[in-house]
Parts: sequence; structure tokens; C-alpha cells
Amino acid sequence: MVEWSPLWLTLKLSFLTTLILFCVAIPLANWLSKEKTIPRTFVEVIVSMPLVLPPSVIGFYLLLAFSPAGALGGMLEKWFDIRLVFSFGGLLIASIIYSLPFMVHPIQSGLASLPSSLKEAAYSLGKSERQTLFGVLLPNIKPFLFTGVILTFAHTIGEFGIVLMIGGNIPGKTRTASIAIYDEVEAFNYPAANRYALTLLTISFIMLFLLYLYNRRLARINVIQ
Amino acid sequence: MKKSLVSFIFCLFLFVCGLAQTKITVAVAANMQYTMEAVRDEFKKTDRTGIELIVGASGNLAQQIMQGAPFDIFLSADTSYPARLYENHFALEAPKVYAQGLLVLWTTKKNIHPGEDLKILLNEEIKHIAIANPQIAPYGASAVFILKKYDLFERVKSKLVMGESITQSSQYIATQAADIGFTAKSIVLSDKTKDKGQWSELNKADYPPILQAVVLLKHAQLSNSAAANRFYQFLFSEQAKNIFKKFGYLVQ
Repeated sequence: MVEWSPLWLTLKLSFLTTLILFCVAIPLANWLSKEKTIPRTFVEVIVSMPLVLPPSVIGFYLLLAFSPAGALGGMLEKWFDIRLVFSFGGLLIASIIYSLPFMVHPIQSGLASLPSSLKEAAYSLGKSERQTLFGVLLPNIKPFLFTGVILTFAHTIGEFGIVLMIGGNIPGKTRTASIAIYDEVEAFNYPAANRYALTLLTISFIMLFLLYLYNRRLARINVIQ
Repeated sequence: MKKSLVSFIFCLFLFVCGLAQTKITVAVAANMQYTMEAVRDEFKKTDRTGIELIVGASGNLAQQIMQGAPFDIFLSADTSYPARLYENHFALEAPKVYAQGLLVLWTTKKNIHPGEDLKILLNEEIKHIAIANPQIAPYGASAVFILKKYDLFERVKSKLVMGESITQSSQYIATQAADIGFTAKSIVLSDKTKDKGQWSELNKADYPPILQAVVLLKHAQLSNSAAANRFYQFLFSEQAKNIFKKFGYLVQ
């Protein structure tokens, strides 16, 4: 018997992570795509860190930070009565950090790929920076936005190490599909593990397939134009 | 030039093989890590065999052995994994119990005082109770058993957080991510956690004994069977038993 709650939880986590990251990443990528200064390079490095760090490093520090004995966790508990460790909110924050480069990088390279004349034309026609970003630049990098969304979603589905470290495996709250698979394998329950795994495999495949299909179609349109 | 390189690599290969011959590999359940390090040091006083300890969750190690991991001896945290290995012809003989684990209630918070009475878990200030995943970890299963016995399971169910192994749930307690939790006595007695927080031993009549079994694996036949056998026998010696006792296990 496969319980649907881990799969449902994984999808919910991925959806919310993608939604929040999309809103965060656009201004961040826009800021990063400007002239390279030291602070900008510094932030760029931080954004890229989750790409190279093992999830256990992030998980370890988040566990310490979220724990009520830690400075951050203690403050949150004392003032707001919030405890992030072993909660869905905590997982969401972890996922946002972990998937940050997967959303920021495509958007950033999309913005960098646009000719500067596009921006300059919009400015000289009296558009503000914000109007230019949302009205001119972003509509021109749709494939990059789409790539960011799909990659973030798929990457969050595949998240395992951090959830394992700070989740606490609570059914319906932090027991995501990847954890459920791990547990079923540990318990030698291969058929159940297989059902979860196959579902994830299918979802990931379809998503990536859609992404490549979409990018291919766009490439064709561009060629025709 | 090329020749010398080849002969160098060949020498290196021989050297590595030579080293490997005097070494056995022992897979150890996470809760036994420190204990087995002590047992190994004791064994080494009289025997020159190198012993490599591979530490992991029992379930993980059993999986690895079934996939062909080159381990000679497997010390599990329970009896079911060794039994499974034996049934599937990965072991040379039937598993034998080498130690019995004991369950304790442990906290590193100053304002919580664990005692014999488990009702403390109902306190409002306790938001998270760490246990090892009962589905795969024997200590977790025992914790659930004892909670059910005192009709507390349903009442504290929403507070339970699960670690993948007894060591992970202990991490949750040590970092205070969880306010209190069930763990192994061997963990609270180990050097690294000895003076951290407070613990109380649970009545061992309240839960089925956590028997830990060991098996001599088929791989031992291929590599260094005499040495593997010596270490296996050593686990049941008086010296080893004393170490097990000192680290918080019961032995027969």
C-alpha cells in the first residue's frame, strides 16, 4: 500500500518553494546582472554555494540554527513561539536556500543574454527601471524563466539530505517522498519503495521533457523569425 | 620510463595487497560505535590483525552486505537483520546474541527532569520527543512499545520526531532540537555525551529485550578467515563482555 501523503507533501513543498523563489529570484537576478562590483560578486558566490556544498553541510547548520538552543531558533521561540526544526516551514526555508541557484542562475543568464540596446531603448522612451524589467526584459527571456521554474521544482522534488537532517520524518508534515523511499528500502519493503520511486521518476521525466520540448519549439520560432 | 612506471604500479599493488591480507572489516551498528572501538583496542593488545570498523545503521549495512559489500563480521543492533542475512546465505553460521541494549529517556534541557514516570512527556513545555524510526530501528520500536504500554502513544504522537537511527535521534536531543527523547544507554554513557543533560533508565521489564546479534559473514572465508574467526570469538570473551557492560549493555 502506498500512502499518498508523502508524494502530496513533496509536491506541495516543491510548488511553494518554486513560487517563493520565483518572486525572490527576479529582483535578485536583476541586481546581480548589473555591473560586477565586490559586493555583487560576494552575493553571487553565496547564491551559488548550494551548488557545491553537500546538503549535509546546509542541513547541519540549519539544524543548529533552528534548534531552540541556537540563537535564531531561541529568538523565534521566545518572541513568536515558532519552532522551525521538524516543521514544514523549516523545510520550506531549507528548500528555498538549497534551490536558490537553480532559479537565480537561469534568470540571470537570460538577462545577461539580452542586448543592452533593448534596455537603453526602453529607458530613452521614458520607461522606469521597474517598467523596463517587467514590461520589456522579462517577456524576452521566457525560456529562461521557464527553465528556472522547472529546475527549481524538479530539484526540490529530489531534495533528500537536508530533509533527512532537519525534518524528523513526521507523517504529513516532513515525511517527503524521498524520505519515504529511503525508509521503505531500509525496511526491505522494495515494492513500496519502487512505487514511490517510480512516481517521482515519472514526474521528473515529464517535467524535464516539457522543458526541452518548450525550449525546442521556441528555438524553432526564433529561427523562423 | 614506461617500464619503471609499470613496475612501480605493480609494487604498489603488491604492497596494498600485502596490507589487505592482515586486515578484517567489521560492520558495526551505529549504537555500538564507541563500544567497538574499545573492544578493538583491547583485541589489538594480543593480536596484530588490523580491524577496520564500518559504522552505519543496521539496515543500511545489511543492505550493503546483500549487495556484496566486503565485510567479514556484522554486528547488528537487532536480531532480524542478521537472521535475514543468514536465511539468504550470506552468513557462515546462525546469528548469536552478543549484547542487550537498554533504553533511556534523555534530555539536554535544564528545566526538564526525566524520571521513571513517562507522564512527563505530556508536559506542555515538551514539544518534540525524539525516537528512532520504529520501522527500521529496534530502539525506536521499543520506545513505541513502552509508550503504548502506558497508553501514552496516541497522546504524544503529534510530538514524535524520528531519526533514521538511534544516533540521529540522539543528535536531535543533544542539539536540543528535540526537548527530550528515547535513546540507548550506551549513547548517554559514551565519552562525548557523558556529562550532557540528564537521563533516566527505563524499566527493562516494560519493553521486549533489545537483543543485538552478530554474524560471521561468508566474505570472511575468502579473505582472512582465521583472523575473522579470532575476532568473532573474542566478542564472547570475558574482556569483551566487560567492555560491553561498561558501555551500558547487558551481557549474559
